[in-house]
Amino acid sequence: MQVQDKVGWGLAFPLGLAYMVFFAAPLLLLGSISFYEDNELTRLGPANWIKFLGDPFYVGVVWRTIMLGVLTVLAATVLAYPVALVFYEAAPWVRRLLLFIVVLPLLTSVVVRTFAWIVLLAREGVVNQALLAIGLSPVPLLQTQHGLVLALMQIEMPLMLLPLLAVMQGIDRNLVEASRSLGASRWRTFLKVLLPLSVPGWVAGATLVFASATTAFISQSVIGGGRLVYLPSVIWQQAMVISNWPFAAVASIMLLASVLTGIVALNAIGRVIHPAGR
Amino acid sequence: MKSHRLDRRQLMAAAAALGGSSLLGRPAYAKGPLTAAIYPGSWDEQYRSIVLPALKKAHDVDLALEPLFAVDQIAKAVAARGIAPFDSFVLDPGPRVTAIERGLLEPFDGKKLTNASKLAATGVDGWGAAVNSQIVGIAYNPKKLPKPKSWKDLFQEPYASRLGLTGFQTTFGTVSLIEMAKAFGGSEANIEPIFAEIKKILPKVAAVTAPAALPGMFQQGQIDITYTNTNNVSTLKSRGVDIEFVMPEEGAITFVTTLHVAKGGENKDNAYKYIDTAISAAVQEALMKSPAGLLPTNKDVALAGDQPIKSLDDLSKLVSHDWTKINPQRAAWIERFNKEVTK
Amino acid sequence: MGRRNTWTDISYFAVIGLLTLIAFLVLVGPVIVVIVTSFTTSAALKFPPPGFSTRWYVDLFDPVKSRHIHIAAYNSLWVAGMATAAASLLAVPAAMAIARVRTKAARAVEAMFLAPLILPTLAYGLATLMFFTLLGYRPSLWLLMIGHLIVISPFVFRTTVASFTQLDPVLLESSASLGAGRFYTFRRVTLPLIAPGVAAGAFLAFVASLDNVPVSLFLSNARTDMLPIRMWGMIESTLDVRVAAISAVLITSVVILTLLMERLVGLTRRLGG
Repeated sequence: MQVQDKVGWGLAFPLGLAYMVFFAAPLLLLGSISFYEDNELTRLGPANWIKFLGDPFYVGVVWRTIMLGVLTVLAATVLAYPVALVFYEAAPWVRRLLLFIVVLPLLTSVVVRTFAWIVLLAREGVVNQALLAIGLSPVPLLQTQHGLVLALMQIEMPLMLLPLLAVMQGIDRNLVEASRSLGASRWRTFLKVLLPLSVPGWVAGATLVFASATTAFISQSVIGGGRLVYLPSVIWQQAMVISNWPFAAVASIMLLASVLTGIVALNAIGRVIHPAGR
Repeated sequence: MKSHRLDRRQLMAAAAALGGSSLLGRPAYAKGPLTAAIYPGSWDEQYRSIVLPALKKAHDVDLALEPLFAVDQIAKAVAARGIAPFDSFVLDPGPRVTAIERGLLEPFDGKKLTNASKLAATGVDGWGAAVNSQIVGIAYNPKKLPKPKSWKDLFQEPYASRLGLTGFQTTFGTVSLIEMAKAFGGSEANIEPIFAEIKKILPKVAAVTAPAALPGMFQQGQIDITYTNTNNVSTLKSRGVDIEFVMPEEGAITFVTTLHVAKGGENKDNAYKYIDTAISAAVQEALMKSPAGLLPTNKDVALAGDQPIKSLDDLSKLVSHDWTKINPQRAAWIERFNKEVTK
Repeated sequence: MGRRNTWTDISYFAVIGLLTLIAFLVLVGPVIVVIVTSFTTSAALKFPPPGFSTRWYVDLFDPVKSRHIHIAAYNSLWVAGMATAAASLLAVPAAMAIARVRTKAARAVEAMFLAPLILPTLAYGLATLMFFTLLGYRPSLWLLMIGHLIVISPFVFRTTVASFTQLDPVLLESSASLGAGRFYTFRRVTLPLIAPGVAAGAFLAFVASLDNVPVSLFLSNARTDMLPIRMWGMIESTLDVRVAAISAVLITSVVILTLLMERLVGLTRRLGG
């Protein structure tokens, strides 16, 4: 790649300035507000941090939020890889169609898709009617973690598929042919060739899914209900219902930290499976 | 890269048209706007369809309604630090005391209301005007469950596994839970019994939700019994939902809901016009009829429709609460409930 | 090459085929369910609907009954339009400055410009609320526009950077060596080549703004109501069937716009990686 020296930093300045004023400054403010002890922001001190980190309930909420992200990533992976494999083998026009089917939900409002899952998961909803029809008994889905993971998986799966498909597209077909001609089964070819080579795409996708699922306030509150508490609802409750800004700021920073931890962990996994990948 | 080239001018023109036309297209406000907080759900719907057009017609004021429960209104006003997020509050007795203490309300001048004399003597005071009475009790689905009698029934089968629970964020939730605590031997000062009962049935209850979500849950068949006010029941009934209101044998609960002018609001005069419209006989009459079923405070309005009481005088026989005792404990109750129900 | 349909291969096809089928059912099913439900006769969200009617669409387009929904939709469009225009004006030059510089500083700045894509924007939404409140601003569409601008700029930035990296530098050099000025080269050579990338990014940014919840959740109020927040309120409190009708309208618009963008700028090709 040729290094360009003709265009200077001046062109990046306007966006940089906007980010400094409207992105970095508010986040720094969030950080400093977390170190106030009262809502009127008069007394500095770590009281709200101590309250958060010292309360097993809130530490549990952080843990559950991370687990929700992990489960959603796992569920999305189980369904995204088969789609990616079909995509890999498919003719160009099928690929275009597949891409379109993947992109469409992504461009459909998250609120709309959350709403759709209420219709599907309700006690007398589509899924339970289907279970009844095949002779099984209905299961509670709304207000359960598995129902929430199912809905989030649909909402977030396109985020995993797009980078995954992009990487798949670039994998050299000869490698697969070589593996097959050496007598490897399709499973073995997938595990030894396609999976490692596609890991960078998976890492990129899993990062987006993890970040998005842990932050999805509306899906969590509408599908999850009152008994499943995650960090976003703590942030919302503390900021907008109880009006305790410093504590809401602490919860927000914990959410930021959880997401960053998840991203670092996912990248570490990526490097273990595919050391050459970024 | 394919050569589908977009002309720069076309792009700019499109962007400018998008931005520009939207600017020009901003709806013009006639005699000025008014933003009023309103309870989510049936209050929001009914105020939108009845009070909003009435206010526009009578005073040419454009009303925007922001759906927030009383506790949330106070939180939002406190968080806004002096810049009132809306011009008018709608509050129940408890949050009303809090709002006065926190200095969120403008002192109220009843003389500015043409309809003030139509309210009962206590209807207008130095802080606001009474707009509707609420009655809180048990709501159940008669097609799925036998008629419940007591608050205690909610904690037994067949009711417990169809129960929708909600916490202390709302007035109706708070007073219902207090009455249940009393039924199990507690009091306003001691609500431990209700936490103990909730703990027992928690694994099997149908749902624990935000208060605003209860009507939707009922409509979808997710829950078949809950505690709520009569106006939520009428609204659901009007949509063809199988729901009936029951006054528990321990006594249904009542409280008065009041409208207030926010301190630091931009449109104080319009707020008075709004309150005056809301307590006018015509609007109160309309709000009382199905689907809203809101109990009037205007004496000129004769009680009619599907109401659990015969006359407004009966309200005095129902249970009411001492909010000076409840308020100091409520924040802790909210947090405790939310923690205890979490899986 | 010989095909060996061993048992393991059959199991491979069965498992992959079944999971792909489930994946598509899960991806597309909810969208279809919403559209079908929007034509119900009932006031409850039962599926399948008991009868066919367009009453919820009539309600949705009723200028009196659904005025608040129209205002929210209008506010959302205004914010999305303005934020996308501003994001494009700021992000395209920034992408130009950064795209081909390989220094560490440039990578760091690029990471910052892309950060809103993976950082939890809910935390950012709360931060903006605190920031603007402490500065003493009333909530307004302009503040929402600024919040959205930050969150959606990465979309334009990313696709534009991708376009720049594919740009053949020889083209620019030859234009310069023929005596063309920098601005002339930009206008006549660079811009036409990167325009599809910018347009694809702007489209994604526009959709992301229309769909934004985390920032609007904290910055909007009754006067600056945004469509997703209004819909959330309707879903949470009343499960109003009009939400299904709004959803169907949104889905249809997105399908049409996506097909259009696919034609014009090859949208799906630009989304990966």
